[in-house]
Amino acid sequence: MKRFVTSFAAAGLTLAAGYGAASADEIKIGVLYPTSGGGAIYGGPAMQGHDLAVEEINAAGGANGVKVVTVARDSKLNPAAAAAAAKELITKEGVNVLIGGLASSVGLAISEVARQEKVIYIATIPKSIKITREKLHPYVFRTASNTDFEGDALAQMVKRVDGKKICDVQLDYAYGHDLADGFIKALPSHAPDAEVVLTLRPKLGATDFNAYVTQIMGSGCDTVVSGLWGNHFVNLAKQGAPFGLFNQVTYISGGEIASHEIAGKMGADYPDNVVSNTYELWYHSPTEAHKKFQARLAKKAGTEETAMWPMLAYNGVMFYRAAVEKAGGTDAEKVIEALRGLTIETPVGPLTINAEDHQANTGQFWGPMKKQAGRKYRMMDPVTYIPPPGE
Amino acid sequence: MSMLTNPTIVFLQFMNSISLGMNLFIIAAGLTLIFGVLRVINFAHGVFFMFGAYVCYSVVSRMAETAGAFWLGVLAAGAALAVIAFIIERGLLHYLYDKEHLMQLLFTFAIVLIMGDLAKMIWGTDQYSVPKPEGLKGAVDFSFGADLAMPLLYPAYPLMLCVLGPVVAIGMWLVLSKTRWGRVIRAATQDREMLAALGMNVPLVYTAVFVAGSALAGIGGALAAPRVAVSPGMDVTIIVECFIIVIIGGLGSLWGSFLGALILGFVNSFGIMIFPNWELVLSYVLMLLVLLWRPWGLFGQPEADGH
Repeated sequence: MKRFVTSFAAAGLTLAAGYGAASADEIKIGVLYPTSGGGAIYGGPAMQGHDLAVEEINAAGGANGVKVVTVARDSKLNPAAAAAAAKELITKEGVNVLIGGLASSVGLAISEVARQEKVIYIATIPKSIKITREKLHPYVFRTASNTDFEGDALAQMVKRVDGKKICDVQLDYAYGHDLADGFIKALPSHAPDAEVVLTLRPKLGATDFNAYVTQIMGSGCDTVVSGLWGNHFVNLAKQGAPFGLFNQVTYISGGEIASHEIAGKMGADYPDNVVSNTYELWYHSPTEAHKKFQARLAKKAGTEETAMWPMLAYNGVMFYRAAVEKAGGTDAEKVIEALRGLTIETPVGPLTINAEDHQANTGQFWGPMKKQAGRKYRMMDPVTYIPPPGE
Repeated sequence: MSMLTNPTIVFLQFMNSISLGMNLFIIAAGLTLIFGVLRVINFAHGVFFMFGAYVCYSVVSRMAETAGAFWLGVLAAGAALAVIAFIIERGLLHYLYDKEHLMQLLFTFAIVLIMGDLAKMIWGTDQYSVPKPEGLKGAVDFSFGADLAMPLLYPAYPLMLCVLGPVVAIGMWLVLSKTRWGRVIRAATQDREMLAALGMNVPLVYTAVFVAGSALAGIGGALAAPRVAVSPGMDVTIIVECFIIVIIGGLGSLWGSFLGALILGFVNSFGIMIFPNWELVLSYVLMLLVLLWRPWGLFGQPEADGH
């Protein structure tokens, strides 16, 4: 019995030591990206951007003079796993802030933990509008774009290609539904004579799209508006091209399928008539800062043709650093005040977090994907920056 | 709804159902074969499928783009998985046959995690694209000169799968029903103690079946590679679909899997036409209905009491 009590006490002490682990001599960032399973394609590059930011901050003497350390957890693509990891980061590791998330469902789950535990969460990739609207709370901020911005850009693209009959094809989960809502809301103001003739909602993780392709082609639409990201698009394109899908329709898509990680890997399989978006392109530098950022990233990644995700993770960390320096420390309430209305210089230009809805005015690059002489992959040409509506 | 009255669309969806079903069948056939003989529910079947796709990619990407490269990739995928399965069965699984099912389940689940990480170490986390083989890149015209509003084109590659599925099914059926090895394998599903008492080398039968079933998963992965992105996580979707198929068809039944795969193909293709908002749950509802009506599946046998 005595031994039991002793070990119990020891466990208690260890736990107590675990709490309050965040000391004044370091700032702990809890970072959550999917680094295993299907999400690793995105989480891996995102972690590179995150690490690059932390290295740069520490090389410059830290944030507000304090060294920054990272505690990373695998958020998977699973809201429950991400919420558990976020809780553990707060209660056991005592992190000062949570940064990251990928899937919208995961972002919402981390945000809920942040609200309960009163710890700041900066969503760097999840785009569901709910995070900064219905589920907005003082502790959550978003440096990614959102489904209303992206939906508005989709409607602008419909106008640009003069689409009349639209097939609305979105994935059957938070991001797809919210993006469809954003698009339908914006369509009448940009392209009043366009109408949706078919609505399809493939499931998240679907691999067989033949049946959808058949439906789209049978509906007679001239434009597909979508947000099938990553492998969903790869699979749709590979299966749809032999049917002649991309000869019949212009394929307008959110979900960053214009990013180089998709275009580069698909090579000759990337279809015709695709207009899409990306946050960043290694071959397009809108600012001098981007050139420098891209060069550092290329060194870290070991390739000149870098991915888009690192910059999102990088910007999230840089926003937090700027807020800590403005607030003069890591006190959550003060950092929240600092983040509201904060502007920082990023590789794609200055970005500002809105004081009301905690949403950064992050726009995206949009354009058609064209074959390039001497390249095995397509590139966006021409590249157009579309800021959020109202900017 | 009006699309159901459009014969072109109905025809294309019919073809989609069969091609999807046949690709799934080739993979699920291995799973059901292994269960039938070894009585092991092999969770690692999905990760074997993923390895097959990766091996095919590695072969194709190292060779010039010729029709032969892809088929060599398919063979290499089957061979690679046969070797991997041999090592796993002889080295590890072999010692677990007399242990409880939970141990075996945990073991195959451990293989999933280990091989998933191995794949990441070998191929990284990027997604890869395997081009369709020469000769199967285009589409076949089914309109036969008729003047139709919408061209009746069906892509050649999935069309090939529609043919290959039944070929695999009949081949497996012939081996199982007409050859001596087939008789031994069927006997092993019935009573392995008796088979051993008759002087048969039962462990060898088990090894052979595990190797053959796993090779089918590898081949299925290679065949899927030109249609889907080859990437981490592709094992998860497929293993769920395979389980739905073998549960509908009856665990251990070859023709059960064949029918189960076809049913799943039809539910997927026509489900989205008729119940577009219910696509997500249709296949699960179907599985549930079959389980309520015949818990042992359409072609399965009720589990007899052991002796």
